[in-house]
Amino acid sequence: MQPLPQITLGQHSRAGPGGPNQDCHGAMLPAGHALAGKGIAMALADGISSSRVSQDASQTAVASFLSDYYATSEAWAVRRSAQCVISATNAWLHHQSQRSDARFDRDRGHVCTFSALILKGRMLHLLHVGDARLYRLHPQALEQLSNDHRVVLSPTESYLGRALGAAAQVEIDYHQWEATTGEVYLLASDGAYSHLDAPAVHAALSSTPDDLNGAAAALTALAQHRGSLDDATVVLLRIDALPAADARHPQLDRAGLALPPPLAPGQTFEGFTLVRELQHSARSQVFLARDDSSGSQVVIKVPGTELREDGAALDRFVLEEWVARRVDNPHVLKAWPCERPRQHLFVAMDYVQGQTLAQWMVDHPRPSLDTVRTLLTQLARGLQALHGREMLHRDLRPENLMIDRDETAKLIDLASVWVAGLSENAPRQPAEAPPGTLQYMAPELLLGQDGSAQSDLFSLAVLCYQMLSGQLPYGLACARVRSPRDMHTLRYVPLRHHRADLPPWLDAVLKKALSTEPARRQEAVSEFVHDLHAPGAPFHSMRSPPLVERNPVRFWQATTLLLTLLLLGMVGVQILRS
Amino acid sequence: MAYLAPTEFVTKMIDAGESKLLMSTRDTLIRSYMGGAILALAAAFAVTVTVNTGNPLAGAILFPVGFILLYLLGFDLLTGVFTIVPLAVIDKRAGATWRAALRNWALVFTGNFGGALTVAIFMSIIFTFGFAEAPNAVGQKLGHIGEGRTLGYQSHGAAGMLTLFVRAVMCNWMVSTGVVAAMMSTSVTGKTTAMWMPIALFFYMGFEHSIVNMFLFPTGLMLGGNFTLLDYFIWNELPTVAGNLVGGMLFVGLPLYYTHYRRTAKRKA
Repeated sequence: MQPLPQITLGQHSRAGPGGPNQDCHGAMLPAGHALAGKGIAMALADGISSSRVSQDASQTAVASFLSDYYATSEAWAVRRSAQCVISATNAWLHHQSQRSDARFDRDRGHVCTFSALILKGRMLHLLHVGDARLYRLHPQALEQLSNDHRVVLSPTESYLGRALGAAAQVEIDYHQWEATTGEVYLLASDGAYSHLDAPAVHAALSSTPDDLNGAAAALTALAQHRGSLDDATVVLLRIDALPAADARHPQLDRAGLALPPPLAPGQTFEGFTLVRELQHSARSQVFLARDDSSGSQVVIKVPGTELREDGAALDRFVLEEWVARRVDNPHVLKAWPCERPRQHLFVAMDYVQGQTLAQWMVDHPRPSLDTVRTLLTQLARGLQALHGREMLHRDLRPENLMIDRDETAKLIDLASVWVAGLSENAPRQPAEAPPGTLQYMAPELLLGQDGSAQSDLFSLAVLCYQMLSGQLPYGLACARVRSPRDMHTLRYVPLRHHRADLPPWLDAVLKKALSTEPARRQEAVSEFVHDLHAPGAPFHSMRSPPLVERNPVRFWQATTLLLTLLLLGMVGVQILRS
Repeated sequence: MAYLAPTEFVTKMIDAGESKLLMSTRDTLIRSYMGGAILALAAAFAVTVTVNTGNPLAGAILFPVGFILLYLLGFDLLTGVFTIVPLAVIDKRAGATWRAALRNWALVFTGNFGGALTVAIFMSIIFTFGFAEAPNAVGQKLGHIGEGRTLGYQSHGAAGMLTLFVRAVMCNWMVSTGVVAAMMSTSVTGKTTAMWMPIALFFYMGFEHSIVNMFLFPTGLMLGGNFTLLDYFIWNELPTVAGNLVGGMLFVGLPLYYTHYRRTAKRKA
């Protein structure tokens, strides 16, 4: 099995009898990193015949897609990258139409259909606007995988329902599915597919099995021979090999890197001199080191004994630096900018002088709301930087957060980060054990559901609660959740039980962020931070909680006293009567 | 054979202790019930071997089989949680309080007792043909094991109580050393080898193990031992639990924690 997919591609376009070819097609077969990170992309655009500029539109759409798609972040999922690029192209095309006479007549503008097929890992992704078609070839038939965005008025009259450049916004169909080795896909414009069928495709493929370009050319010729008057374009894709279903992330390349030998302070290692050990556990060994060339301090992390035989864990280990290199934010730990070739598997990160949040909480047992808010806002910015790149931190806990000498809070442990762009090489595996720390983990993760930005928000809110009160909002009960039923038994302990000096609205904000159901939480980390600074009317209208909630002991004492007096009174009345 | 350095496995011990505190009530009960039952079965097996061969060493050498089995299956014993749970509390893990530790111990005690009692009843049925006949040789041996280890201590008064307590301390010192040693290795053979010796040692020396006793004594009572339920609790089970706690916590968990973990810097600081 290959670590990367292999395909054979054939494409051909033939202008119709009526003039210039308004179809455009293209494919990008990158090598190395780009292939691992972004996959193989094919695109087909078909201009509308009523417009004289639509060949410009289709060429622009294909060319800009194939170049810009590979310029998007590797952390992004295919869907987001492709949609971003296509939307930008759409906006540009639409703008071109608006600047010309076509603003009065859409049929003469920069308008085209657009379909892109991307193979990344084992997964195929289709992004589609318009009436080109993607087929999967079966022995007897062609299976259409795309929808035609064509509005049919009568057997002779129909028009394109959706197209690139037709409006300021475009709705893009998206499908993804797992490819199988040996499959053949056919992407064709309407001038081609309307005159082709499965036997024709099989015949073309069997006449030139090794030359798919020849087969594509034969098919376009056949379509026009059968009477097509439009431009005919055919893209044939055969899947020759796919990576194994359990293949590691090819992006996280650690081939050729040896596991480090046992290390001790004082030793030199890969151009660093180890100064002292910062942490040593079964999972990793962390050293403070000095870079011999620049003399600056750096943190070196090497895999611990337990990780050494676990390939998936080693991948996650490498992931930490991969993530740190792609997130540039003052509140996320940076990777060490080291370009030296490496012989060993290790992670080099910036050294942050300061203390962990865990230590900070010991030193500041009753911090003011303002102090906590300042730190939380910084951590939230770090989280937002991750979320914006379609990453989830998944392991927020006091030991993973540092506060440096300048009171800047940073996320330091990025080994559990989930990256959308890395997790889509293969269909979703059955949920593995969530990587976080149970006390801070959102309950939906404990039930094996997928995490979201709201799961990170939950952990952040737990931290906020713990910083202010030293306690956990649900005690240990939340960590013991095993079924949805357990989730309903969780009771939020109001923060004011621990600290009566905090404002009542704070409980409302935290309670919302700590809802057991993700949908009931704030929608994003930024909304939570905003609520902490400027609680909206709904939170303010919360009246001070009733006495029974604020001070249950006093309430029941008072009730008991009242009942006792009542009882005494009744007994007294009875005695007086008799 | 993969081997973890001491600092590495002490972190693992604390993590393991923390995870016990975070376990749901149901899981805690199931795992401790199964742990108690399998250990009881191993004890029944070891006594049978001893009676049939006439050699207590044979029984002691084979007894660890059951212990290793329950460890590898991830079941819990009171002696084990006595050792590792306090470490999570001392290390100030989030939410780890003595109250949570007591809850865990109470649940594990209940589960272990239930499991051991179930096996005690089943074995008594086997030894006596469903209480229809007098107990067989093994049954008689089990019936009288309990007498010496309750009334025997009682007859010595305070000195007896002290002996009982020290035997319980020694027991969990050995047993927990075995469990901790198992954490040093990452392979099944390594774990098995590491556990065998300390466990065989405690069984042969007749040290007092609270869960083994949860099987031996109820069986003894059912098979005609001359002591009462109250004798069993006051002159054996409760002091044994206390001794096991001291042995596991004071002689295994804390020394390792202070010598191998505390002196290392806590994290990137």
